[in-house]
Amino acid sequence: MSQRTERRGIHVDQSDLLCKKGCGYYGNAAWQGLCSKCWREEYQRVRQKQIQDDWALAEKLQREEEAAYASSHGAQTQSHTQSTAPQTHPGHTSLGPFSKFEEKKTNEKTRKVTTVKKFFSPSSRTAPKKETQEVRTTSPSLSRHASFETDQVSKDFVDFLKNLQKPGREIHKQCRAFIVNMSGKKDLGADELSECVQDFYQSMADRLMSHYKGSSESVEQVMDQVEKYIMTRLYKSVFCPETTDDEKKDLATQKRIRALHWVTIQMLCVSMDEEIPEVSENVVKAITDIIEMDSKRVPRDKLGCITRCSKHIFSAIRITKNEPASADDFLPALIYIVLKANPPRLQSNIQYITRFCNPSRLMTGEDGYYFTNLCCAAAFIEKLDAQSLNLSPEEFERYMSGQASPRINSSDADWPGAGQTPDVVATNPVLAQLNHNLELLSSLNSRQETVMEAAQSLQADLLSWPQAVKREVQEILEKYPLQILPRTVSAIDANNMDNENLPPPLTPQVFAG
Amino acid sequence: MSAIRVDAKVVMLGKESVGKTSLVERYVHHRFLVGPYQNTIGAAFVAKPIQVGEKVITLGIWDTAGSERYEAMSRIYYRGARAAIVCYDLTDSSSFQRARFWVKELQNCEEHCKIYLCGTKNDLVSGDRSLRQIDYHDAQDFAEEIGAQHFETSSKTGNNVDELFQKVAEDYNSSAFEYMTEETSVDLGQKKDSYFYSCCHNN
Ligand SMILES: Nc1nc2c(ncn2[C@@H]2O[C@H](COP(=O)(O)OP(=O)(O)O)[C@@H](O)[C@H]2O)c(=O)[nH]1
Ligand SMILES: [Mg+2]
Ligand SMILES: [Zn+2]
Repeated sequence: MSQRTERRGIHVDQSDLLCKKGCGYYGNAAWQGLCSKCWREEYQRVRQKQIQDDWALAEKLQREEEAAYASSHGAQTQSHTQSTAPQTHPGHTSLGPFSKFEEKKTNEKTRKVTTVKKFFSPSSRTAPKKETQEVRTTSPSLSRHASFETDQVSKDFVDFLKNLQKPGREIHKQCRAFIVNMSGKKDLGADELSECVQDFYQSMADRLMSHYKGSSESVEQVMDQVEKYIMTRLYKSVFCPETTDDEKKDLATQKRIRALHWVTIQMLCVSMDEEIPEVSENVVKAITDIIEMDSKRVPRDKLGCITRCSKHIFSAIRITKNEPASADDFLPALIYIVLKANPPRLQSNIQYITRFCNPSRLMTGEDGYYFTNLCCAAAFIEKLDAQSLNLSPEEFERYMSGQASPRINSSDADWPGAGQTPDVVATNPVLAQLNHNLELLSSLNSRQETVMEAAQSLQADLLSWPQAVKREVQEILEKYPLQILPRTVSAIDANNMDNENLPPPLTPQVFAG
Repeated sequence: MSAIRVDAKVVMLGKESVGKTSLVERYVHHRFLVGPYQNTIGAAFVAKPIQVGEKVITLGIWDTAGSERYEAMSRIYYRGARAAIVCYDLTDSSSFQRARFWVKELQNCEEHCKIYLCGTKNDLVSGDRSLRQIDYHDAQDFAEEIGAQHFETSSKTGNNVDELFQKVAEDYNSSAFEYMTEETSVDLGQKKDSYFYSCCHNN
């Protein structure tokens, strides 16, 4: 053993391999020379320290905010006549800086500054605030709307918590600390971020549960507000994070849906008759709702969009079928709506909701049902093939490649009511127009070909004509060669027989000058 | 968007046209024709409060699309379910094979999901015994083997339908306490080794 290491010229002392803590186990370079157990302890210790620092910072911010909170409360009751626009509101000078936590760059900067300041100059307590305000003045007006929204949410949250009195204060403190804590975790993967948020929900819900002595109703009410507050703040840093391939998936889905533009309502066996105005109205509303989802920040609000979309689909089906819709009708209809809407950032939104929504809502309730169906629709569209549309692979290929567009065919037998009213012309009017134009073009083409043929034969005719003329001339020339006859000289008057009948020549008259 | 609070998710599984939708419709209409909770626009999702002793348990009943073209997606449906009613048609032996498949799926993927094996269209076989393709005792043996409850129902006559859902609610109620003490967080289908991220629990 030692011989071999010597031969290779590497000297390894047994003690080098052992854990640096001297616990007797082997260490590992990846764990900075510690064994797994000691490394874990060490890591935990550093982590703990960081948490405590974060905590101290949070408490400090909390104190500042509480002071501002109190003063804003006073100001509000004192002067009703003053403008209460959030940006000019006295309370928001202190709320302002926090609203910036959602902005990645600003946020990092802020954190760095505050942490550094905290460690090296504990006396300059007001420094962090100044820093963030500076950042704020330089921030582009673009973010004003977003921060306005955030401020409004904070204000609503505070108002809501005021009614809860003492526990409200505690909840506020916890949430504030959590947001500060999260702002230091930009590098974590999406799953870990999700876990942090879910753990927070869980511990918050547990505490509320014991506070409200098991009244799930009250707990849920508070949890909804907590989710709204937290996720509005965290939205920008945790929606479609760079550590995931969410964005890539979004683009792939969008492209896929575009490529599937030819899928008809009949192929999906959807029981919605868009000829009925009320149905098509609901279809349009459903499409609008699902597109709107992307504009919401709070997971529950996004879920709300999905639910509204679903209810419009149910209405459309009920009106078409004249009876309540079942799961068998709903899923295909939702797939159809998703295909028509091509909702922006579909995958990112699904992922975001899955990661950051309050799980009790997501897993069991009505919103959860519709959300699950949306997940199914997305999965179906991703995997969609010839079989899922009852098409032959060849047909599917031709449609996908754009070589053909589906006309109404035999598969329409699935369409309820097709028996009585075979709507053969129920194709898209644009498609009908297109087909008409194609027919015109093809007839134009054949006429052009005829013209071309005629022109060519004319050309050939023209080319052969001079030759024919030449040949003819030649033939004539050959047939009638030029004959030069011997010249016969004769007296001009020789043949004049009637000379004597001529009158006497006129004699010239002489005029005497 | 203040939907009714739901305690447990119950998912309906089974081959197409075994009678899942009929079962839900029968159950819901029976009790809720005039009640305030009736979901008037569709029967795909129903929130159904059930009296269990002193308490009211609200079941969220999830019907699933039956067509085979959506079968691959079913796994998304039963995620997080606390109970699954796996249906088979008493007059169709192939549907029982399918039920066995669902049971295996559930056992593999949803360990907290209690399984209820349900033979449907009981009225057909009691009218004509020769129509029965699944022996009661065979199904009962299978149910015992997998630790499931076993019911034979008829959505046409309503036979045993209430009993089935009542049992689901009761079982949920009695298991809820154990579950709550043993598990403190909801697992979203991910690994639960949150060693590094335990910081969030800090307070
Ligand atoms: N006789 C009888 N027919 C039933 C019963 N349950 C369902 N059916 C019929 O079976 C067919 C399929 O039912 P459905 O609920 O749509 O099945 P699903 O695809 O599992 O949802 C329908 O024609 C129902 O009328 C039952 O208990 N008795
Ligand atoms: Mg059904
Ligand atoms: Zn060690």
